[in-house]
Amino acid sequence: MLKTLLCISFIVATVLSAAALVASVFDVNLPLGLDFILQNSPTPQKYLIETMPGGVALLDYNNDGLLDIFLVNGGRITSPMQTPETFDRHDPRYWNRLYRQNKDGSFTDVTEQAGLANAGDGNYGMGVAVGDYDNDGYPDLFVTNYGKNILYHNNGDGTFSDVTAKAGVAGGGWSVSAGFFDYDNDGKLDLFVTRYMDWDTKHSKDCGGNYHTYCPPEEFPSTTSILYHNNGDGTFTDVSQRSGIAAKKGRALGVAFADYDEDGFTDIFVANDGMQQYLFHNNGNGTFTELGLEAGAALSEDGRRLSGMGVVFQDYDNDGRPDVIVTELPREIYGVYHNDGGGSFSHRSLETGLGVLSSGSSGWGVGLEDFDNDGWKDLFVAQGHVLDNVERIDPSLHYLELPLVAMNHNSRFERVDSGSATPVAGRGAAFGDLNNDGWQDVVMTYLGGHPQVFMNRGGKLHWLVVSLRGTRSNRDGFGARVKVNGQTRFATSAGSYASSSDKRLHYGLGAAEKAKVEIVWPSGIHQTLDDVHADQFLEVREPEKP
Amino acid sequence: MIRAFLFLWFAWQTLSPEAAQHMQAGIVADKQRQFDVAIAEFRKVTQLEPTFADGFISLGQTYMEKHDLASAVAPLKRALEANPDSAPAHQLLGYALLAQGYAAEAIPHLQRVGDKTGLGVAEIQTGQLPEAIANLQAALADRPNDPDLLYYLGRASGLLSKQSIDTLVAAYPDSPRAHQAMAENYFVLRQMPEAEKEYREALRLRPEILEVHLELGEVYAGAFQWAKAEEEFRAQTQLQPGNAEAAYRLGAALLEQGKAHEARAEFLRADKLLPDMPETLYSLGKAASLEGDATAAEKEWTRLLSIEKETSLAAQAHFGLAGLYRKQGKTEAAKHEMQEFQRLQGGANPQAPGK
Repeated sequence: MLKTLLCISFIVATVLSAAALVASVFDVNLPLGLDFILQNSPTPQKYLIETMPGGVALLDYNNDGLLDIFLVNGGRITSPMQTPETFDRHDPRYWNRLYRQNKDGSFTDVTEQAGLANAGDGNYGMGVAVGDYDNDGYPDLFVTNYGKNILYHNNGDGTFSDVTAKAGVAGGGWSVSAGFFDYDNDGKLDLFVTRYMDWDTKHSKDCGGNYHTYCPPEEFPSTTSILYHNNGDGTFTDVSQRSGIAAKKGRALGVAFADYDEDGFTDIFVANDGMQQYLFHNNGNGTFTELGLEAGAALSEDGRRLSGMGVVFQDYDNDGRPDVIVTELPREIYGVYHNDGGGSFSHRSLETGLGVLSSGSSGWGVGLEDFDNDGWKDLFVAQGHVLDNVERIDPSLHYLELPLVAMNHNSRFERVDSGSATPVAGRGAAFGDLNNDGWQDVVMTYLGGHPQVFMNRGGKLHWLVVSLRGTRSNRDGFGARVKVNGQTRFATSAGSYASSSDKRLHYGLGAAEKAKVEIVWPSGIHQTLDDVHADQFLEVREPEKP
Repeated sequence: MIRAFLFLWFAWQTLSPEAAQHMQAGIVADKQRQFDVAIAEFRKVTQLEPTFADGFISLGQTYMEKHDLASAVAPLKRALEANPDSAPAHQLLGYALLAQGYAAEAIPHLQRVGDKTGLGVAEIQTGQLPEAIANLQAALADRPNDPDLLYYLGRASGLLSKQSIDTLVAAYPDSPRAHQAMAENYFVLRQMPEAEKEYREALRLRPEILEVHLELGEVYAGAFQWAKAEEEFRAQTQLQPGNAEAAYRLGAALLEQGKAHEARAEFLRADKLLPDMPETLYSLGKAASLEGDATAAEKEWTRLLSIEKETSLAAQAHFGLAGLYRKQGKTEAAKHEMQEFQRLQGGANPQAPGK
């Protein structure tokens, strides 16, 4: 009875607080055919993996111009865990799923016909990365797991092939987020895979005494992330040691890429849980140096460690330099690291208003997208605490939360109604224009339920969506710096948490009906397009010659 | 000491040689911690000399050393029958009874010897809390920082506080102070909605009541409702313009909302009311830094470091200074501050307290 009353009071409070907010830019719905349920299989044993899935990707796998959705599933966990661990991934309930978007906005499950039903015995799913690693024009999928990771090559005919063994990217341990990027500007996408910690079900434990909670990360040894170099022949080489990435052990959950110091080489930001964050500076010679502390992007404003989970590496204040936003646990406030130039960052969570918006929340998937097309990138964060019984320990915190949607008003974020009235344990989030109307949408996953699709209601302001077609650079153009009417985006599908977003670059143009597009390709080629008409999907091909 | 020795010497002169022999053997066995042997020897002494109090005392003491408290009581009582003024017998019997939970019975014996520690502990158990506090404070004067004494003093004070509050709530359940007390109880239990309700009721009944706005502000701060926290802290500062803590808390709530300029004004006021508080100085530096006033931030953090050098706040001040110097392009100074920060944090991967 008490529980019911508390639940009712929480819902009432939530609805009342939502009612006081500015109206949402989203309608939240579940499109026809999108019947996926994220099976995380919580158990009394509190296996830590249970609370960590799962990612979502927005990609156009069949190049029909419509974004499709790939969703990563967890698996079945027995209580206690039986060996060998299979996670029952052969059972369709625990498959990852690929949904092809139909012209009417509905989705069709094409998992089996696409050859993606086999998620691998012993793999509990976590995240997904998307990139055209072989430059054949079709996006490929990399799925991270607790277990072995899987690289699916897109065959271009609606099917995928598991090429993990040939590619040599199975890894092992517990991988979470991953991303394709071209760290050596050789025109071929390389792959970075975060690994969380040295943990397995045999060495699992629960914490919290009588409360029985998932353990904090400090309870388990840290581990290294993996960097794979693309050899260009369908194989990859693990260069973690050679590149210096393996020199820094961490508890990596999120990863995002951008060239923060404008030296022409893409850098890596890693969100670590319960410790300092890592900023791997690309030295331009195949090696990286971790400079988080020196650059001022490793800790909180007060020098405290952070529970970094999701991360976005884009320019929120339109000064042309990529900033970092890291999502974290309550009482830490989401970290806003403003890129001051000169390789230095300053902590601006309080100035941007994010302190007050995030101090009681747990953030995961995160994106900076211009949801209202006013020329400023807004913020979306999937939220929900790690502990499914956190209210028993601290009634001021909540396991189930609404996502944070905050509009950017001249570099200050202000919360608006998210459009959802149902608090959930949000995890992954991917961003893109699902219905090609020029207004960014969001797909968010949450534990134990269907994905939530936040369809942008649209408006009257103008927009431009840029698709990059690399020639000398990688075909996806990942790593390009693209400036449109003074707003800069860094081309990537990575970022957020365990998720992969639409690779197309979206810009809100406000009242402007024309745009100037300036591109710095990873190859170093500069390209400028003047008087581009607004409200169109513009494909830009990289010049063959500088 | 000499008097005690002479007393024992005279007492021993009255013993038969056989009893003295057993007494000696018992003492030797007790020193060797052969308690069963010692007990057998002392028992023979008491059988041979049933009016010899020291025999019973030694027997009782050895039982206590053996942690057999129940068996110690009878010989110690026999010792007091033989010598009602025996201080060791009173003290040992007092502790033997107290340790078994017979606090009321223990008190007269402990009073006879003026054992303030034992009395204080016994009086906690009998609910004589003011007396317990007085005795424990007296004992603490002789043994400052004794952890057991500190614990019992804290316990006695806490129980007395609870007793007063219980009396208040029972006698005047609808009084503002009763609602405040209940709110504080809910706050400790982290039942924030209930705490808020009780604080609100206290304020409704007596709007000018002191401390309640401050405490209610803490409830809101704990629930991350910073605007409401600001409102309450501000109300407290209006009621008590001389309250430095209220000014500090108001500054902190403002800072959380990114209102650096207003926050700074409140921190300055707090610093004026209660100068050189490290927390205030750190926050002053932080607010100044947020406002872009690097000179003031440097001044406040440096001031803090002149007061505290090895604390977590000092570490934070070094971290803040490192950021300031980095922005100013003072690379070496930034590096030095970061090294100091890392030194205080115990390595390159600092841990946050209380995560």
